[in-house]
Amino acid sequence: MAVDVIMPKQGLQMTEGTIISWMASEGDSVQEGDPLFEIETDKLTIEIGAPATGVLLKILSQEGDVVPITERIAVIGEQGEDISELIAQQQSGPEQDQPTEPEHTEGPKTVQPAGEPAEQVATGGSSRYASPRARWKAEELGIDVSSIQGTGPDALVIEQDVLQYAQQAPKATPLAKRLMQQSNTDMDSVQGTGPRGKIYSRDLVSAEPVQPAAAQPEDTIGKLSGMRKTIAARMRESLDTAAQAVHRVDVDMYEAVRLRKRLKAAEIAVSFNDIIVMAVAKSLRKHPNMNSAFTDDGIITYGSVHVGVAVALDEGLLVPVLRNADSMSLHDIHQETRRLGEAARSGTLLPDEMTGGTFSVSNLGMFGIDSFTAIINSPESGILAIGAIVEKPVVIDGEITVRPICQLSLTYDHRLVDGAPAALFLQEIKKMLSNPYLLL
Amino acid sequence: MSKKKYAVAIRDVIAEEMRSDERVFVMGEDIGALGGVFGCTRGLQKEFGTLRVLDTPISESGFVGIGIGAALTGMRPVIDFMYLDFVYVAMDQLLNQAAKLRYMYGGRASLPLVIRGQQGVGRGNAGTHSQSIEAFFTHIPGFKVVMPSNAYDAAGLLRTAIRENNPVMFIEHKALYIQTEEVPDDPDFMIPFGQAAVKRSGSDATIVATSLMVSRALEAAERLAEEGIEVEVIDPRTLIPFDIDTVITSVKKTGRALVVHEAHKNNGPGSEIASQIMEKGFRYLDAPVARLGAKACTLPFSLVLENAVVPSVEDIIQSVHEICYH
Repeated sequence: MAVDVIMPKQGLQMTEGTIISWMASEGDSVQEGDPLFEIETDKLTIEIGAPATGVLLKILSQEGDVVPITERIAVIGEQGEDISELIAQQQSGPEQDQPTEPEHTEGPKTVQPAGEPAEQVATGGSSRYASPRARWKAEELGIDVSSIQGTGPDALVIEQDVLQYAQQAPKATPLAKRLMQQSNTDMDSVQGTGPRGKIYSRDLVSAEPVQPAAAQPEDTIGKLSGMRKTIAARMRESLDTAAQAVHRVDVDMYEAVRLRKRLKAAEIAVSFNDIIVMAVAKSLRKHPNMNSAFTDDGIITYGSVHVGVAVALDEGLLVPVLRNADSMSLHDIHQETRRLGEAARSGTLLPDEMTGGTFSVSNLGMFGIDSFTAIINSPESGILAIGAIVEKPVVIDGEITVRPICQLSLTYDHRLVDGAPAALFLQEIKKMLSNPYLLL
Repeated sequence: MSKKKYAVAIRDVIAEEMRSDERVFVMGEDIGALGGVFGCTRGLQKEFGTLRVLDTPISESGFVGIGIGAALTGMRPVIDFMYLDFVYVAMDQLLNQAAKLRYMYGGRASLPLVIRGQQGVGRGNAGTHSQSIEAFFTHIPGFKVVMPSNAYDAAGLLRTAIRENNPVMFIEHKALYIQTEEVPDDPDFMIPFGQAAVKRSGSDATIVATSLMVSRALEAAERLAEEGIEVEVIDPRTLIPFDIDTVITSVKKTGRALVVHEAHKNNGPGSEIASQIMEKGFRYLDAPVARLGAKACTLPFSLVLENAVVPSVEDIIQSVHEICYH
């Protein structure tokens, strides 16, 4: 009874092997377990014993052939046994369902890619050490550096070894090549997952049932706009230079709400923001230490009060400046803030209208933000962050009552102003907002 | 362009700078009446007089001190050392004062001081007249350290040095003074510090060489090319600041590097350069970075022995073979 000698699978990753040598010739008697042939995989070189005792009737794959695993490479049987039928099966046996192609009549030899050199026979095991450059090149080429035999000192793998290995590495395994031939698949259309994109049979299997991966949005990188760059640089610079500290206070806006209603009834439109800007401007006039800037040459105390008002655009943030805000009426503040806001949105703001501020305010109340910490618009001394006006229970004269409360957060530069004077400034704003008639 | 010897290029730049800037003056031993032992100040006293071309006593510490004071108060002194070995006499003034004053004054003072002179082998001048001093000045922060390897670079770098507001150690080489090259006539021709020159392009190994060793590296490269090894030769031109980017770009291409200088190999500037190559280009290396420098012994009087102590063309070829695993 004839026994097949097959290309054995040595290790999980093995898909093919190269026959390096036969230790017996056709017609020789072989003993089960005695070395029969030597193969090389991409990991090792190993001797394989005969699977049975008998006569080596036929060698189907010659030295140098690259053969997929489990493929028959020889037949062992009894002297004189007729194996012609068995060998004929070779042509259609393993692939009975597939249309037979003429190339297959030559047996496993056809898996040897025409014109491609057989895998180089390694002279020994692989190297333990590789130069950093060899590792770098191997990584770039997708080659496992440990599978390369080094030619440097002490078998060090060097760049040259990697490049040489890369040149010799076949682009597809023989099995994959045959599968591609059968299915008329163009080699270029298959994405190999092996080293350097070498195509394995599993790549074809996975390529067949076309399963587009669930469309996952990819990461994108957008070019930085000039505005984004400026904002980024100025925010970073502010945090890098100023010693920023924050005070927070709740302000009862009851009277401010009433004032606004009355003005509205008289058809004078003002916003809470306008009232707060006015309170800030007047308070700055009373607290000149907050209307200042820190420089290496000394502290600049500004003679004028110019209040910046942050305006959010889709592209980013602009801070147009209300000049001499402390001497403006509430109506003036309202008109000027509106004009600057519209100019900012239409892109017609002049450079002069965006510079020269001595203090800024930023309002996120319209987004329902209770409270936030703003970053100082350098080189100003501070910025007031205005939260939403929310009705809250408060205790007044020992009784719980509901009042419109707005939280103000003052970020100030501690290099310029200490905690106590900054607190006095915020207290002043609170006083004016609690009793807005002081503003008039 | 004019064909000039290295020493003449030095003298001409000093003269041109003295003509265009009256704050520039020179000081040193035997530089006036004699015109310098190597002719680097020849004719200057005749043109500019004894107040701007000062012959000093043999007192290095003293005249460096005068130079520091003059520089701090607005002058632009160029101090001539007959042999740079003599800087050791003035080390306190140079490394404790000049190198540190700008820092000590919080950056508010400038110190436009040029120390220049020649060093190295070639004349059998023995232990105290043949040394290479750059390692001391690249170790202590404060000096810019310049090492021109040819007349062209000498002219462009010296003008940059004289117009620089920090102290500059300008290191010439006695064996290069007769080196002749085309030098631009432009009275504003300057080579910026920190810009290496790729003297020869190659794909197999990178040699970083300074001063006299640049010509030896180039000769070695020619001979290696005959064997099929193409060497890239880089002259950093200034050690402080050092153009590591050009070196790394080259090592990325070649995978191998050799640093050659005439200063002693032990703790020499090549140690720093090799370290930087390994820090910034480790993954590009196919072999350890090699170094060549003078052996750890006093420079001999005998020319035969002197040649044996400093790296030769043969040493460079052998070292390149080693890093190329030949």
